[in-house]
Amino acid sequence: MTRHSIFTHANPTTGKKDGKSPGVPVLAWLLLAALAVAPLGFSSAFYVHLAILICLNIFIVSGLALLTRTGQLSLCHAAFVGIGAYVSVLAQMRLGIPFLAAAALGTIAASLVAYLLGSAILRLRGVYFVLITFAFGELFRLLMLDAASVTGGANGIARIPAASLLGVALDTRKAFYCLAAVLAVASIAFLVAFFRTPKGHALNAVGENPGLAESSGISVRKSQLFAFTVGSGMAGLGGVLLSRYVGYISPESFSAQVSIAAIIMLVVGGRMSIAGPLIGALIMTPLPELFRGAVQSQNIFYGVSLILILRFLPKGIASLSVLRRLTGERL
Amino acid sequence: MDISFLLGQALTNGLIIGLLYLLMAIGFTLVFGVMRIANFAHGEFYMLGAFIAFICVTQWGLPYMLSVLVAFVLTLLLGWLLEIVILKPFRGDELNGLIATLGLGMVIQNVALMVFGPDPQSMPPAAEGVVTLGKIVMPLSRLYVVAFSAVVLVALYVFLMHSKAGRALRAVVQDMEIASSYGIRSSAAYPLGFALGVALAAIAGALMAPVFSVSPFIGGAPLFKAFIVVVLGGLGSIGGAVLASLLLGISESLGSTFFDGSTADMLIFALVILVLVIRPTGLLGRAEH
Amino acid sequence: MIKQSLVLAGLLALAGTAGAQETLKIGAVLALSGPGAAWGQGMQYAAQFAADDVNAKGGLEVGGKKYKVEIIAYDDKYQANEAMTAVNRLIFDDKVKYIIGPTGSAPALAIQPVTEKNKVIIMTLAFTAKAMGADKPYTFRPVLTTVETAGPQVAWISNTLGIKKVGGLFVSDESGQQQHEWLTKAYSDAGIPLAASEFFDRDRVDMMPLITRLMAKGVEAIELNGISPTTAGLIAKQARELGFKGRFIRSGGPATAEIVNVAGAKAVEGMIVYTQFDPDDPQVKAYAKRYNDKYRKPMNGFSPSFYDGTHMLFQAMAKAGTVTDTDQVRAALESIKDYPGILGNTSWTGQQMYGINHQVDTPFYLSEVVAGKEVIRARCTTAGCQ
Repeated sequence: MTRHSIFTHANPTTGKKDGKSPGVPVLAWLLLAALAVAPLGFSSAFYVHLAILICLNIFIVSGLALLTRTGQLSLCHAAFVGIGAYVSVLAQMRLGIPFLAAAALGTIAASLVAYLLGSAILRLRGVYFVLITFAFGELFRLLMLDAASVTGGANGIARIPAASLLGVALDTRKAFYCLAAVLAVASIAFLVAFFRTPKGHALNAVGENPGLAESSGISVRKSQLFAFTVGSGMAGLGGVLLSRYVGYISPESFSAQVSIAAIIMLVVGGRMSIAGPLIGALIMTPLPELFRGAVQSQNIFYGVSLILILRFLPKGIASLSVLRRLTGERL
Repeated sequence: MDISFLLGQALTNGLIIGLLYLLMAIGFTLVFGVMRIANFAHGEFYMLGAFIAFICVTQWGLPYMLSVLVAFVLTLLLGWLLEIVILKPFRGDELNGLIATLGLGMVIQNVALMVFGPDPQSMPPAAEGVVTLGKIVMPLSRLYVVAFSAVVLVALYVFLMHSKAGRALRAVVQDMEIASSYGIRSSAAYPLGFALGVALAAIAGALMAPVFSVSPFIGGAPLFKAFIVVVLGGLGSIGGAVLASLLLGISESLGSTFFDGSTADMLIFALVILVLVIRPTGLLGRAEH
Repeated sequence: MIKQSLVLAGLLALAGTAGAQETLKIGAVLALSGPGAAWGQGMQYAAQFAADDVNAKGGLEVGGKKYKVEIIAYDDKYQANEAMTAVNRLIFDDKVKYIIGPTGSAPALAIQPVTEKNKVIIMTLAFTAKAMGADKPYTFRPVLTTVETAGPQVAWISNTLGIKKVGGLFVSDESGQQQHEWLTKAYSDAGIPLAASEFFDRDRVDMMPLITRLMAKGVEAIELNGISPTTAGLIAKQARELGFKGRFIRSGGPATAEIVNVAGAKAVEGMIVYTQFDPDDPQVKAYAKRYNDKYRKPMNGFSPSFYDGTHMLFQAMAKAGTVTDTDQVRAALESIKDYPGILGNTSWTGQQMYGINHQVDTPFYLSEVVAGKEVIRARCTTAGCQ
C-alpha cells in the first residue's frame, strides 16, 4: 500500500528550484514591517498582550514548520518549549545565572534533548514517530510534575523575573513586544533565507520524496535530525521568552494540547509556506480570547477548521492565490 | 506490609486492568490496520459509548446489557457515517489522516461538553459485591467487564476468521492492493473497518462507565493506553495487542502497588520508548514496507 | 399644550439619563470544568445570587450612586496558566477591580503577583496557606480550610470515636501537598499519627493499587481530606469494592452530596465530614432551596461562604463610599466584624497563622453521614469542638 507523506496534497510538482527564485516581493516585507510596528500604537494593554503571544507563537510554530518540511510530525513540540522555559528559569532563579546566559542554556538544552531523542527515533517514519513524540511529551510533563522539589511540581514557578537585555529590564508590555516582534520577524526571515540554501533544498527534497532524496545522496535521517534539533531549539527559545513574559510556568503550560494547538496553527496557516506560521498564529492566537465565554464553541471551531483546511485547502490559507502572489511562493 | 496479599492483589488487579486495556486497544489497532490512520479521536468514541450507556440506563431505564449493545450499534452507524463523510479523502494518507482525527476528536469532545456539561456523572454498578479467593478480593463489577470483554473478543475473532466481511477486512489489513485485485471493495472495507474499530471503543466505554465515571473528559486516558498497547504490541497486530495489554496492565499494577502512581507511569513511558527504539515495529508487529 | 408636553418629555428624558445606571463589573476566575467544577460552579452561583440580591433592589448603592452588578466569569479549568490568561483579560480588558476566585491553590498562587500588583481584591477558595500573607493585602478567603478545622476535627475523632489508625490519600498538587502537611501535623498532635499517606495524580480514576496499599497497612479509616467530590466518591466506591470496612473521614471541603451520588449512600455510611453551615438553619435552607430551584442541582457546600463573602464585599464598598478605590474598600472589608451572614457570625482572623486577618472565621460543625444525609454531631470553632 502506498504510504503518502504529508506532501501528497502539498507539493506534487516542484522539481528543482530554479537558480533565481523570484524571492519574496518587497510589498510583503513592507506589510510585515507594518504589522510588526502597529501594536506599538495600541492603547489597550490587552491587545499588546495578544500581539506578544502571536509573535511568540510565530517563532515557536516556525520551529515546527522546519521539521514538517522534512516529512515528520512532532506531537511533543510543546515539551521543547517547556524544556527551554524550565531550564532557563531554574538556571536564573536557582543558580543566579544572568538572563542571556540562562536563555542560551535553555535553548541549548532543548536542542540537545531533541538531538538525542531524534537520533534514537527518527528512523521511525510517520505514525510511529508521532506516537513516540506524544509519549515523550507526556513523559516530560509527568517529570516536571513529579520533580516537585526542583520544578515546583503542579504549583509551577512564579515570580519569574522579566527578560533583560544589556541591563535594561523588559518589564513593560511594549518593551517586551519589541523583543518578541524582532524574533518573530527574524524567524520568518530565517525560513526565507534557509530554504534558498542547498541545505534548505535538501530538506524540502527529503519531505517530498524521501526515497528519491536518499538515492540522490541526501541523507534523510541527517536532514530530519537537523530540522528536529534546530526546530526544537527554536521552540526552546520561545519557551524562554514565554516564561519571562507570563512570569509563571507550570507543567500544564506544556501539555499535548499545546502541541496540538501548534500543529493546528501550522496546518491552517500552511505547512509549505514561510507565511504559514504567521497566518496560523495570527488567526488562531486571538481566538481563545474572543471565544472565552464559549470555550466549547472555540474548540469545535478549531476542530472543524482543521478538517476543512485539510480537506479543501491542504496547503493552508497561505496557498490562497491572493496570498501566494503576496509572498511570491509557488506552492 | 503483607507481601503475599499485596503481590496477589496487584497481579489480579493487573490482569483485570489488562483485559480492559485490551478492549480499548483492539479497536484502535483495527482502524490502523485497515486504514493506516492512527485515530486520535478513538478516546472520544469510548466516551460516547459511556454516555450512550449512561443515558440508556439512567434515563430510559434499559437493562445494562442492552445498553451496551445499543452503544455498540449507534457508534457503529456513527463511525460508518463519519468515515464516509469526513475521513474518505484521507484513506491511506497517514499523517493527514492523523491530523484530521485530531480535529475530529476535538469536535466530538466539545459537542459532548456542550450537551452534557463538564460534571462527571455516575452510573449504578453493573453488579455489586465481591468474589474472594483466599485473601484476594475481586470486585464483581470489574469481573463483569472481564467476562464481557472476553465474549466480545471471541465474537471479534469469529467474525474476522470466519465471516466473509471479516476475511475481507483481514485481507485489506494484509495488503490493500492485492485485496482489491481480488475484488474486495475498498469502498466497503474502509467504512466497515473504521466503524467496527470505534464501535469496539464504545463497548469499552459502556463497560467501564459504571466502574469509573462518565464525563466528556474520560476519553484521554484510554486513548493513551491504547497507544501504548498498540505501539508495544505492534501496530495492526491483534496478537501483539493481547500480549502488550496484559503486560501493560500487570506492570502498571505492580508499579503503582509497590512504588507510587507517577513513578509507575514514567517507568512505563520510558519502557515504551526503549522497546520502540530496540524493536520499532513492536513486539509482534510486522516490518513496514 | 404641545410646549408643555415637550418640556415634560425633556424632563423625563433628563430624569432617565440621571437614573441611567452604571455597571459594576465583578470578575470571576473559577474552575467551571474538570475537577473542582462543582466548587467553581458553587462559587459562581453564589456571586450571582449576591448580585441578583442587590440588583433586585435597584442596584448596589455606593457613594450616592446605584450600580448594576454584573458578574463576568471565566473558566480556568483548575489550571494556573488558564487562570493567568483569564486574569489578564479581566484586569486589562474588562477592567475589573474585584475577582471572585480562583478555585484552586495553584491557580491562586500564579495570579497573585498580577492581582496584588494591580490592587485587585480577590476572594479565593485556595486552601494553601501560601495564598495568605501580609505581603498579599488584597487577598481574602471566605471559607474555612483544613488549617482551621483539622485540629478540632481530628481531636474529636480520636477522643469521641476512638479511631487510632488512619490512612490518607492526597492529590499530588499544591492543595493536596499542603493538606498533607497540615493533616500529618494535626493527626500527630492528636496522638494518632497517620499510618499511611498516598499521593496520586489529580486525573487518576483507578484507585485500586493505592487502596490496596492502605489496606495492607490495616487502616481503620481513610482520610479523604480535600479531594475533589467525584474523585472522593470514586475512592469510596472502589474501597468498598475491595472490601474495605472502615469509615471515611473528610477533613476538607464539602462534597457529601456529590460523593453520595457517585458512591451510593451505603458506601459512605458513617463518614465524618465538617460543614460550614447547619443544614437545618432556616437561612441556609432558604438559600439551598433557591439554589436548587434556579440551577437544578443540590447546593455545593462552599456556596454559602461565597454568598456571604460577596455580600461582605458589597457592604465594604458601600461603607468605603467607592467602587474604584480598592485600598479604601480593602480597609472597609477588613474592618467588618460579626457580619450576620447565613453562615452565622462572621469575622476575619488569621493574624497569627498567616500574618494578616483575611481568613474568615465562622463556626463549623462536625457531621456524620447517615443514609446519605449529614447529621450534626458536634459544634466547633477554631478553638475546639463539643
